Amino acid sequence: MKNKHVNAIVIGAGAGGGAVAKELSFAGLSVVLFERGGWAKYDDVYDDELHSQRIRALGQAYGPDDARHCRVIENKDGSTKIIRPSDGGFSEVAACVGSGTVSYGAMAWRFMEEDFKLKSIYGAVEGSSLSDWPISYSDLEPCYEKAEWEMGVSGDETQNPFSPPRNKPLPMPPFSHNKEALILKDAALRLGWHPFPIPMLRNSVPYDNRPACYRMRTCVGFACPVNAKAGSHNTVIPKAIETGNCELRINSLVSEILVNDNGKIYGVNYFDADNKQQTQSADVLIVSASAIETARLLLNSKSKFFPNGIGNGNDWVGRNLQGHLYTGAYGIFKDEIYDDFGPGASIALCDFNHHNEGIVGGALLANEFIRMPYQFSEIRPKGEPYWGLKHKEFQRNNFKKVARVMGPLQEMPNFNSRVTVDPSVKDFWGIPVARLSGERLDADMKGANFIAEKAEKWLLEAGAEFTWQTASKGKGVSGGAHQAGTCRMGNDPKKSVTDPFGRVHETPNLFVADGGLNVTNGGFNPALTIIALGYRVGGYIANEWAKGNRFK
Amino acid sequence: MNINSRYKTISLILSIILLFGLVGFGSFYTYWNSASPYKTCASCHEIELRVESHAHSSHQNLTCKDCHGTALSNGFHSLKEKGMMVVNHVRKVNTENIRMNEEQILDVMNNCERCHTNEFAKWKLGGHSMTYSHVFLNEKHNTTEQINFDCLRCHGMFNSKSVDEIVEPLKNKGPWKLKDKELMHRSAIPCMACHQIHQEGKPVSQPDYSNPQEAFYKRKAEKPSLTFFHRHEKININVVDLPKLKLTDNNREVAVSDDPIMRNCIQCHAPNAAHQAGTSDDRTPRGVHEGLSCMACHEPHSNDARNSCKKCHPPMSNCKLDVTQMNTTFKDKNSKNDIHFVSCTDCHKANDPKLKQKMMKITRI
Amino acid sequence: MDVKNKISRRKFLSLSLVGIGGISLLSLGALNKKPISKWRFFTENEVLILDALVEQIIPTDESMGARDAGATNFIDKQLMGPYQQFQKDYRDGLKLLQQSSMEKFNSKFEELNWENQTILLKLIDKDELKHSHWEKGADKKFFSMVIRHTMQSFYGSPKHGGNKNNVSYKMLKLDTPIIIGQNRYK
Repeated sequence: MKNKHVNAIVIGAGAGGGAVAKELSFAGLSVVLFERGGWAKYDDVYDDELHSQRIRALGQAYGPDDARHCRVIENKDGSTKIIRPSDGGFSEVAACVGSGTVSYGAMAWRFMEEDFKLKSIYGAVEGSSLSDWPISYSDLEPCYEKAEWEMGVSGDETQNPFSPPRNKPLPMPPFSHNKEALILKDAALRLGWHPFPIPMLRNSVPYDNRPACYRMRTCVGFACPVNAKAGSHNTVIPKAIETGNCELRINSLVSEILVNDNGKIYGVNYFDADNKQQTQSADVLIVSASAIETARLLLNSKSKFFPNGIGNGNDWVGRNLQGHLYTGAYGIFKDEIYDDFGPGASIALCDFNHHNEGIVGGALLANEFIRMPYQFSEIRPKGEPYWGLKHKEFQRNNFKKVARVMGPLQEMPNFNSRVTVDPSVKDFWGIPVARLSGERLDADMKGANFIAEKAEKWLLEAGAEFTWQTASKGKGVSGGAHQAGTCRMGNDPKKSVTDPFGRVHETPNLFVADGGLNVTNGGFNPALTIIALGYRVGGYIANEWAKGNRFK
Repeated sequence: MNINSRYKTISLILSIILLFGLVGFGSFYTYWNSASPYKTCASCHEIELRVESHAHSSHQNLTCKDCHGTALSNGFHSLKEKGMMVVNHVRKVNTENIRMNEEQILDVMNNCERCHTNEFAKWKLGGHSMTYSHVFLNEKHNTTEQINFDCLRCHGMFNSKSVDEIVEPLKNKGPWKLKDKELMHRSAIPCMACHQIHQEGKPVSQPDYSNPQEAFYKRKAEKPSLTFFHRHEKININVVDLPKLKLTDNNREVAVSDDPIMRNCIQCHAPNAAHQAGTSDDRTPRGVHEGLSCMACHEPHSNDARNSCKKCHPPMSNCKLDVTQMNTTFKDKNSKNDIHFVSCTDCHKANDPKLKQKMMKITRI
Repeated sequence: MDVKNKISRRKFLSLSLVGIGGISLLSLGALNKKPISKWRFFTENEVLILDALVEQIIPTDESMGARDAGATNFIDKQLMGPYQQFQKDYRDGLKLLQQSSMEKFNSKFEELNWENQTILLKLIDKDELKHSHWEKGADKKFFSMVIRHTMQSFYGSPKHGGNKNNVSYKMLKLDTPIIIGQNRYK
């Protein structure tokens, strides 16, 4: 049976796609929202560390599954390796309704004003394709606000002197600190730094018909048992569906964007839950499949009008793949600092996001989410054994005495860090898989060491008896769950993939709405920015539609 | 003629087949119900472990079918299930750690009642006999708090489905309905939530009267047979292996009873994650009753605590306060004498000379 | 009434007769039954080596070690599930470990004393096991894999076959199951 033509197709029900689907369906457009996975449930994993999205030892909790998905990593020497989702370095983003917003830690950061104009502030960086965003912070501010109020964010930005200007306070009060954070707070104040409670997409009080967080040990890597953690799956998507205008099509993997004989994009091919190929047509298409998968889909959609893939006329699709170089330090304290008051991450500071001497950009610093016992078994200072009695004793003596402070270092965009499609390796459905290549720049290494030193300083001031830095194991291929940059937005069609509203330059009706748009990735977890971009793109399309624009 | 004789032959053959069938099945059935479980049920190695644990339990004198019934006792369902076990066995499907589903749990529970009539009746009268409709369709609850995945930790814990497959909508705007109407009257906290029938133990026996000393003063305390059914892990954890509550009241550590049975109560009637006294559903005794176990006052099956004051207090206290006339229930928000938290000064003036005198006496003792 | 009684009596007789026959027959069958191995993948010999190996990785001290906590059971179980890809690594690795033990100490690994077991494993860990049947680096790779899986068994959820009675969580003083109250409606 042929699928009924709709106004809009949204590909990927994650952070960006959820917001787009909500904006469009509220504006009266008929929408089909595609998601390659199904509904994730707390019951799928409970608090089982070995299945959590962070550990993945016994398989991916919320997908994608090892059996049907893979990617290729290209090393510096040109050698390649096929990797599965549960392997390290896959750069997985969950395959389920809500995607990463189901199992993320839910930090709700706005990028700072500086993050939108790095090039103007710092100048060119060697080896980097650094550029300003085509939009400023104030352009995105209303979208941030919408994200914060429609999905629900707890926090108090007035405690952060580096916080960018805002029109409206956060809708919920901040979370109270756990024991570790209280110790760190005093230490930071002694150092003259500016600690504050981390803004979270998590209810500190009941909000939007969802209960308050009851502070489990297991949060990041797991679904929330009470829906206190806000994701697109329990906020915007159900609301979009409720309008009656949005159909969520789960377990449906979009394989190709279709172009008609006039060169006009008119729909997609997808594999349904029974792996049967189907077609869906629409007036306007929004790809929000995550930076890597969005690039893969555009590159895989080749036709005589787009011989190198859609939007790739100037070879920019898939370029500038960025993630975050996580960097920081561990510290062992004399007394127990662990009080089992979840989820752990509680305190942060933005003193080192910008204006650090000799460093371009920087990172926030925050204490880490609770490390479960298996994960902790792999955390040892250099020289400590990884097995035997000493290992067991370390585990017993220090499990409740170790704190970690770290931050997501803003990586410099790099033209050679990229997503391509592999010429030979295909997934279960026969679609060429993404190949990741390139490496980080020297500037990133320098920044990583700088942030790690600051983290160590903080821990020492807090009273840690022994500390060690975790800067980086090497440059490596970028990506990760914070993947971004592959469909850069810009004003110049020759040097970017989309316009400032996410529309792919070469097309009238194809949009991107995920981290792929990010010109630079901020020294912050990018979820709230991706959601805000979803609101921006969705809001723009809805407005244009109301004016009669049909994107022809 | 011909037809008639053919009819006779057919009916003869049919009768013989029927007879053999009946006899075959009958013999099998008789055998199954009389032979040792090691030769029957436990010859499926999937069940071996369970039979083994049963042999060391306080129910060891019962046979499998006393509680579980036979393949015929709950009709087509169990026949099909046993059939599938054979099929799965041959197909080498992993049948490790097979467990009863909720329907089977409830079937077995009906058999508990045969022996434990008294306990069953008390349970029915108490606060734990709620059905699915009581729990999941409670409007007062549902309008103030959204139904969530973790409800099943303490209610409907044997249901293999997740909450959104049981009740809809998962919102605090109803009206709610159970997706499967059959669940309406199903018990949400069956016996097995707290009891593992195969838990290690000894059948009840008379004391050894030959030596009265031994009989009454040297009887060994049995390990409590109580377990918490951990839905996530799908195991029953003996209460002695459950964590003991650490509770603080404004930074003061509250003395919590060592009674392992109380650890079971705490798994569901718990304080918040910071373990602050009186938060969430914490009713751990503080004030004058600090350190008492829940079981000091509550009857385990009915949870009834009425008249339990008399266990320790004279009906009329020495200071002429009639404790039996006091509103001591936790259910009444206005109760100043909530038994869980009542302190000396709630009833006595702080400077009451009589109280001081009494306290002096107590200290002297 | 009468007829019914007759039938049931006849039925009863025949049932009991054949029933007795059935019991004797089936009992004979049950007597001949071979004991079923509790292991899903490993042979009894492999279990002996692996038990000794995992015990070296997480030894018994004041609390249970990996062997008693079910590490071998965990690995055995996962090898028939998500770790099917590692079946060959274990089959070969355990055999080669045994050979290395024979070569170096002229004794089976599980029969070596504790110190010698440790010596052998430290050599492997430092990539210093010289004369050997292993491909270059394969011994260290194998040992790293067993370390990883042993840690998972010991520090992961008991439902996967290890961490018996939450032994590691008790060791770490980590309340399990977690004591945490729900948000109560007022």
